[in-house]
Amino acid sequence: MATNSETVYYTRLKRNRRWKNGITAALFLLPTIAFLAVFVYVPSAMALGLAFWHYHLAGVNTTWAGISNFTDALQFSIFQQSLVNTFYFAIMMVPSILILSVLIALLINKTTKYYSFIRTFILLPYVTPVVGTAIGWLWIFDPTYGIANGILHALGLPTSQWLQSPSMAMPAIAIYSLWHGVGFDVIIVMSAIASMQKTVLEAAAVDGANAWQRFWRITLPLISPTLFFITIVTTIGTLQSFSQIFALTGGNGGPEYATTTTLFLIYETAFVYNHFSYASAMAVILVLIIILLTVIQRYIGKRIVFYQ
Amino acid sequence: MAKIIEEKRDGQPKLIGRRLAKTARTLPRGIAALAVALLFLAPIYITLVTSLDTTKDVFQFPPHLTFDWQWNVYARAWAMFRWLMYLGNTVLIALTTIIVALATSVLAAYALSFIEFRGREIVFFLILLVMMIPSEAQLIPNFVILSWLHLLDTYAAQILPYGASVFGVFLLRQFFLTLPKEYWEAAHLEGAGHLRFLWSIAIPLCRPVLFTIALFIFIGSWNSLMWPLMVTQSHGVQPVEVALARFLNNNSVDWRRLSAASIFTTLPVIVLFFLLQKYIIRGISRGEGING
Repeated sequence: MATNSETVYYTRLKRNRRWKNGITAALFLLPTIAFLAVFVYVPSAMALGLAFWHYHLAGVNTTWAGISNFTDALQFSIFQQSLVNTFYFAIMMVPSILILSVLIALLINKTTKYYSFIRTFILLPYVTPVVGTAIGWLWIFDPTYGIANGILHALGLPTSQWLQSPSMAMPAIAIYSLWHGVGFDVIIVMSAIASMQKTVLEAAAVDGANAWQRFWRITLPLISPTLFFITIVTTIGTLQSFSQIFALTGGNGGPEYATTTTLFLIYETAFVYNHFSYASAMAVILVLIIILLTVIQRYIGKRIVFYQ
Repeated sequence: MAKIIEEKRDGQPKLIGRRLAKTARTLPRGIAALAVALLFLAPIYITLVTSLDTTKDVFQFPPHLTFDWQWNVYARAWAMFRWLMYLGNTVLIALTTIIVALATSVLAAYALSFIEFRGREIVFFLILLVMMIPSEAQLIPNFVILSWLHLLDTYAAQILPYGASVFGVFLLRQFFLTLPKEYWEAAHLEGAGHLRFLWSIAIPLCRPVLFTIALFIFIGSWNSLMWPLMVTQSHGVQPVEVALARFLNNNSVDWRRLSAASIFTTLPVIVLFFLLQKYIIRGISRGEGING
């Protein structure tokens, strides 16, 4: 039993220590919070503000715009097309990434040296800088001398104008993006498969389930949280892609705005044409769409994903 | 199971026969896997072939896939731009970003796991909140803020926006939480303060985590294009990706020159990848490479 004066002493010591801890913690957290304040919290609030004004970088003639930037953007045909392009790109990318990453992961899912070698080569494009490898792909997609048409020609199929054709430019960019990014998802799927309990598969095999049934009934449900995660990350990543579009279209999002995604249009509006507020309104719309999509995907995900 | 039964029925098959049977069983899969790997390598291989072609061989249809070993185009492409300076800029920006981001993340993560203070959960939530705001929201305002700070067209403009790494704080905090509290109590009894404990005990222990975070910041920094395009104009501070994009626009018909430039600007990353692939794969498998 502590005496009264001892209790007072320890309470004071504790309070003193907590106060000191608070200061230390604040000092430790200050750099991170300061960076986030200047480059995330304040800008996020500013983005909304900018969109409601006519802002010019020189600081002159800043006038209230109301919702005119938003209404102008929504009525702007190229902005509408950019949204269509963005979704078209996402709709091509997400299922392809899911299917390819699972197929490749199942194919190379072995622990031998040979297969880890193969895995390395499949991951390699993921780390390569986009402009650098886009050069090789520009050459592959060259309508006259490129190897893509070379293969189509050899197979007796009709050739394509690829990046110079409004209908094939976006699929061509999707092919590049798949090549560049799928290795990352293959590794994720492989680690999901590796963390599955082997006993379940073995039990199913003993019970006479064939490989096809084992995949659909056991493997797929068990890795479905990972596939769901890949879906969300790929969707967001696709909506944010810029480098490959810039590099593969000579920096103009063409031909005929066929590859101008919303982010690309925001970049052009702000930094080529200097319409900061107009571009901010577009950015706010894009951000709202991204958040909405994530919420919808999570809602659907909760229903169909199998969590153990 | 089926295999074992079969072997029993046939009696003991000879060793060579068994090995042959095994090879026959695994060969199709091995070949398919190899084909996939070659498909992924092909674009880089084709770039290499093109860069070494003779002028005549480049424009040939269908394209050929053997080397002509014409190295001279490398010298010409190298001499056209100040590539060494651009590569230097990229490395400088990447390394500085890594140092700043690691320093801020370690401090924050330490405070969020080892120091008890009021409001800890709120601060952690504020930091995690950043992950939920799509980065497009900050694009234009960040440009405006940097122009207010008179930092446009500098190295700093390409480093400071990445000075805090939420992903780094998150991973390091997770790691610190696995360390026994007794470490800190023992160090504290010996008279060490938080900074001393962090520097001599916690940081050495979390070196593998720091390495993974650094690796993914490095990949992200080397690959970034839009932000440096926006905030830089002087060639003197531009990274190699921006220079290469300009080179691409200036030389859009000379495929040999472009391919050579593509090879010598990509090669450092490829070499680094082969040296460190074990850590990259481990990082991705553990879900550490997501926001790098």
